[in-house]
Amino acid sequence: MKRYSTIALAVAVAATAACKDNAVVNPIDAPTVGALSGALTRVTLQQLATGALAQDRGSANAFAYAIETGILARDVYRIDASEPRFVQETLGGNPDPGSFSGSGAWQGYYTAMRAENNLILALANAPASQFTAAEVNATRGFIRTMKAIELWRVIEVHDTVGATIQTDDVDAVTPVRCKTAVLAYIAALLDSANTDLAAAGGTTVVPFKMPSGFTAFGRDYSKVSNLILFNRGWKGKVDYYRALDRTSPTPALFATAITELTTALGAGPGAVPSSQFNTGAYYVFVPGGSENTPNTISDSKIGLNPLVQDSVQAGDTRASKIVPRTALAGFGLSTTITYVFAVASTANQSHPLAILRDEELVLLRAQAEIEAGQFANAVLDVNSVRTSYGLTATAFATQAAGRNAVLYEKRYSFLFEGPQRFDDLREYKMLNATFHRPETSTDPFNAALPLPRAELNARALTTNPACTS
Amino acid sequence: MTRIRSSVFSLLLLALFSASAFAQGRRISGRVTVEGSGEPLANASVSVVGTALGTYTDDQGRFSVTTPDNGPATLRVRRIGYIQKSVAVPAGATESNIGLARDILQLETQVVTGTATTVSSVNAANAVTVINSEKLNKVPAQTIDYALQGKIPGALVTQNSGAPGGGVQIQLRGISTINASFQPIYVIDGVIVDNSQIANGINAITAAAGGNFGSTQDVRVNRTADLNPNDIETIQILKGPSASSIYGSRGTNGVIIITTKQGQAGQTTLDFTQRFGSAAISNKIGIRCFSSGAEVDAAGFDSTGFGAATNKCHDYQQELYGEHPFNYQTIASLRGATPGGTNFYLSGLVQHDGGLVHNDNYNKQSIRANVGQKFGGRLTARVNSELIHSLTERGISGNDNTGINPYTLFSEQPSFLDLRRQADGTFPVGPIVANTSNPFQNAELIKTPEDVFRMLGSGSLAYDFISTDRQKLDFTLNGGVDSYSDHAKVISPATAYVEQVNANPGTIVVGDANIVNATLGGILRHQLVANAFSATTSAGFGQVRRNTDVIENTGRGIFPGVTNVSSATQIFTTESQDIVKSSSLFGQEEFLTLSERLLLTAGVTAERTSNNGDPKKYYAYPKFSASYRLPFLPPKTDELKLRLAYGRAGNQPLSGKYTFLTNLIEEGVTGFRASTAKGFPGIKPETTSEIEGGLDWTLFTGRARFSATQFRKQTDNLLLTASIAPSTGFTSQTINGGQLVTHGTELELGMTPIRMGQLEWISNTTYSSNKGKVTQLPVPGFIPASGSFGSRFGNAFIKQGQLITVLQAINGCTALNAAGTACPSANRVLTFVGNSAPDYEMGFSNDLNFGSFHFSSLVDWRKGGLGVNLTNDYFVGAGTLADTARATKMLSDFAKGIDVWVENSGFVKIRELTLGYDLPAGLATRLFQGRVQSARVELSGRNLKTWTKYTGLDPEVSNFGNQPLGRFQDVTPYPPSRLWYFTINTTF
Repeated sequence: MKRYSTIALAVAVAATAACKDNAVVNPIDAPTVGALSGALTRVTLQQLATGALAQDRGSANAFAYAIETGILARDVYRIDASEPRFVQETLGGNPDPGSFSGSGAWQGYYTAMRAENNLILALANAPASQFTAAEVNATRGFIRTMKAIELWRVIEVHDTVGATIQTDDVDAVTPVRCKTAVLAYIAALLDSANTDLAAAGGTTVVPFKMPSGFTAFGRDYSKVSNLILFNRGWKGKVDYYRALDRTSPTPALFATAITELTTALGAGPGAVPSSQFNTGAYYVFVPGGSENTPNTISDSKIGLNPLVQDSVQAGDTRASKIVPRTALAGFGLSTTITYVFAVASTANQSHPLAILRDEELVLLRAQAEIEAGQFANAVLDVNSVRTSYGLTATAFATQAAGRNAVLYEKRYSFLFEGPQRFDDLREYKMLNATFHRPETSTDPFNAALPLPRAELNARALTTNPACTS
Repeated sequence: MTRIRSSVFSLLLLALFSASAFAQGRRISGRVTVEGSGEPLANASVSVVGTALGTYTDDQGRFSVTTPDNGPATLRVRRIGYIQKSVAVPAGATESNIGLARDILQLETQVVTGTATTVSSVNAANAVTVINSEKLNKVPAQTIDYALQGKIPGALVTQNSGAPGGGVQIQLRGISTINASFQPIYVIDGVIVDNSQIANGINAITAAAGGNFGSTQDVRVNRTADLNPNDIETIQILKGPSASSIYGSRGTNGVIIITTKQGQAGQTTLDFTQRFGSAAISNKIGIRCFSSGAEVDAAGFDSTGFGAATNKCHDYQQELYGEHPFNYQTIASLRGATPGGTNFYLSGLVQHDGGLVHNDNYNKQSIRANVGQKFGGRLTARVNSELIHSLTERGISGNDNTGINPYTLFSEQPSFLDLRRQADGTFPVGPIVANTSNPFQNAELIKTPEDVFRMLGSGSLAYDFISTDRQKLDFTLNGGVDSYSDHAKVISPATAYVEQVNANPGTIVVGDANIVNATLGGILRHQLVANAFSATTSAGFGQVRRNTDVIENTGRGIFPGVTNVSSATQIFTTESQDIVKSSSLFGQEEFLTLSERLLLTAGVTAERTSNNGDPKKYYAYPKFSASYRLPFLPPKTDELKLRLAYGRAGNQPLSGKYTFLTNLIEEGVTGFRASTAKGFPGIKPETTSEIEGGLDWTLFTGRARFSATQFRKQTDNLLLTASIAPSTGFTSQTINGGQLVTHGTELELGMTPIRMGQLEWISNTTYSSNKGKVTQLPVPGFIPASGSFGSRFGNAFIKQGQLITVLQAINGCTALNAAGTACPSANRVLTFVGNSAPDYEMGFSNDLNFGSFHFSSLVDWRKGGLGVNLTNDYFVGAGTLADTARATKMLSDFAKGIDVWVENSGFVKIRELTLGYDLPAGLATRLFQGRVQSARVELSGRNLKTWTKYTGLDPEVSNFGNQPLGRFQDVTPYPPSRLWYFTINTTF
């Protein structure tokens, strides 16, 4: 009997001791953000950098980037019999904050910014055994530059509606700031990134493999010396639009922009060779397979506004970008042309999209020179582009003529490459019926997207709030 | 934890030291028999009232018990199935013979109050339903859930489809959650068993939800289907937190506690049951016959061949679902005990149920061994184990988007076409241009074998530290494992016409699910018996661990005849894994006083779970209850008890704690970024508090029993998905918030209207109703995640102030188009069209015994409730419904914005019908050469008849399987069947 009671007691004690079982279960199916704390390794950095860049690519490959801004800039049609909103909420009415037409260019970029913020935070734990200080600085400088680009993409289409500035606090819903404040923040962010890059030193190489879009298009941005050019190019672009801003211009910044753009181009007015025009950073798309990220402009419902063909000058080799297509009509619009890379095909699904290339910097410099009254330099820059496409040189000596000249070049050089023309028309105050025919009887000449419904809901709002400066 | 362990120790020591005083008493011996027949009753418990002393009768019904002194004593005799009796034994007397009456109306059972404590139903404070083996197994059922239909007031037991092998949802007292676990937990012999629904992967060929893997539309089976009903001694149903609070964050939806049969003292018995049966399709859709080629053309079909067709109207449903399968169940069990203190129950089952299509079937085999052993007078050990195998071929049913489901195909072709296998062995190519699928060929070629091997094992050790006339102290350690592997294949060969449209014809899905649930518990129980009261104190710990790993491999482009997924042209793989650990401590006090009239209970369970935001934090789940047997009774009353119980239980979060990293690929390089679903580190369980009150009333010397219960259940901290500002980089987060309140009523009336000589009529009627309302909702209204096909047809919707079971649909139009024929989409009115849950459910069970003849019936009536009949949509839309006038009207109404697919899904079903005959002893002896004690033959049927206004195949179906909400979607299900059985039961 004693024996049994001893056994029973022993079992009881053993069982109670089993209570010491660890209460914490770490999820085994997928990593969590917890993986970002602790020492950063090169493997983890590679994954985080790829994650952030892939999110950025996905966001810029969405409808709101090249297609919708193309529609709003009157270059593009998307006509889909089963989805009238592609017309009715762009050229026929206002974008609905609850639908795809009005909710774009927002969440994807902020998710990318969160990824970039997380990566920057993780860099604080980069041990010397894994990374040199220069590598850490190079990474931070690059990621900060990318973060500035995300926010630029938000504000360039949200314009006077404003945008929010994300902080490291994942719970913080920050105020909607006005465009001027957002652009100032972007500029400061680009400068701090430039400081990081300078600290890294030009010969440093980022400690992860960049997508080929950053290395295979004439300039290897994994080298810090080239990243500095990328950063200065963006700074020049942002400063130019800050200087021009139609509601709150800062003309002093035109000179700053010209200096920065010249740094980025490495050559003065008219001195950038046409062979350098396509040099830059790109998004490379991989259709099919598990990656399956086709370029979204390869779309059978897409056409070009007939005006695009009507306006092209004789001899312009860029006319090859315009190709015939089967008639596309509906909702009062019709066209028989399209953009060569919009033709739905597997090849076009992998057509790369420029993030920023030198030809844009040349024309941005021309724009800044026009606003600064440096017409001679502006003519040199415009003509360096113009003549490379088989056109004769042009000349202008007024702001209005200069703006028109540069608008033409930008339209055909950057057809379907993003919101460049949308930005220009708006800031030149030309996105209205004075300069363009209404596309529909109710064409409101939309100049900005609203805050998405989800953002309004989370802030308990029903309409766009007044932005704070 | 250390503190608790040391206090357990000191309690043990205290108990051991106080176990010394055994007073000098006398022995009372006697015999317990059945009133009337005088048959001895083995295993009856005989206890001395006012003490903790007691014993059990042997197989001759004899007992011998010691009383503390020589004064007058009262013996209480109890035996399951008999009404307990207390007998006064005068001072000095040493013999007492006692007769017990049969408990026909189940007036007395032992009801669970904790993990190791029970109380007589006479005193129970909760309306716990107890179902015994006999009631459970009156009519054979494919799986255990079917056997519960109509038997539990407060439970909606609903079958998802007529496909063989199960798929039944049990919902106790309405809905308690939107996003967390929604099914009651099952506990078998102390071990929590898994009831997951695992998709077999048929979605890879039906594309019901798209993609390459299984989906919620795979006509899934909830895995308690594996259990063998024949091994069950009793099932206790704790319907809500007021009773199930001890189960902590798994108790919200109620608990189904199953106790398997154990060996018992007495003669070893061998019980052998052989059943043969069959099934037949019990309802069909009325499919249109065409009288002329012109009519075929007018309906939009090609009439080529109409004139030459020998049969101008095929009954496709009969041709495909016309099987009368040969079903059988062979059940044997051996039950007994040895003089050496070993008791055993061994059983085996072999079962085969054919489907209505000749390749479909369900097969189950199980063996169980329950062995108990006493070591001396204090230590008892017990091991229960069961090994189960099932093989199911469920065929193709439910929603599909590839034209593979027979009903999809029946709706899409005129019935003059003969689709059956031709004389040369080939199948006609289906006439639908986009897809040449032929349902008869699909049924022949496409295989869906699902093999489940399941091991249920539990063990317990119980030690009596003290056993005196005044107190008892014992410790029980109980642990066990429920482990199974579910190996499912879907084989759709490249030769099937339906595969021809695929880029890579020939599909194979291989799915493997490995699921382990382990439970461990220890309970220290102390009983103190004083003159004025008896107090039972229990305290203990429990641990539960659950591991799941589900992996699916889908191959496309497989050579016909090959069943190896690795030979596919394209292979897709997915896996999901999970580990959950829970740990709990509990304490409970039960206080019985005022001559056993007042029972007060208080207890608390503290539990932590790894799924909570803080895995180390214990959440408390208290309970209190009181019951009082009135001392002054109205006329004709035997007993009147009032009861009130309160309890709180939880529902643990299943996800939402972590912010995961989402992987993104760029140029083949894998990257990670924070998911847009933000984790909520403070996530905690939903909590449901329930208060239940009622009365139990026994009248006319045990001839009638009436029980009424009213409950109010309130769930707080609902796990909800909130949208968050996308500018944070996230879009959603799981939060705790909102409130759901459910009220309900349960009534039960048991009677023995006739008991005259050999004739006996036992009647039991149950009624239950409940309504749940969303009283608070911190997020905008939303369609719950459970599937739907949109508001054009009907969906569930969660909205503050609305019923949780409300059905939302477009029904109405602000202004029709100019022609008055259609409602422009902008003018459609989205509205709440009614309640998808039934208004009430009633069960009528009647047993009529005349000597050796036994007749019993069970009728299940559900009043009201709405369903969405999308099966109709297939036939109406295609113009193949027999009732063309109705189809035309439905289409025209639908165009005008009227939701014609929403139908009343109320029904009356004859669930069970049995006619049994006990063979006379002489005949049994002659037939079985003297080796048989008793033999019975039975003819029985299940779901023999349904009365309903519902126009679909079966008002019970659910396209998405078991669902917390919106299970009312009816999409081309497997047709229901009626089943009948012939049974021979012999006891050796």
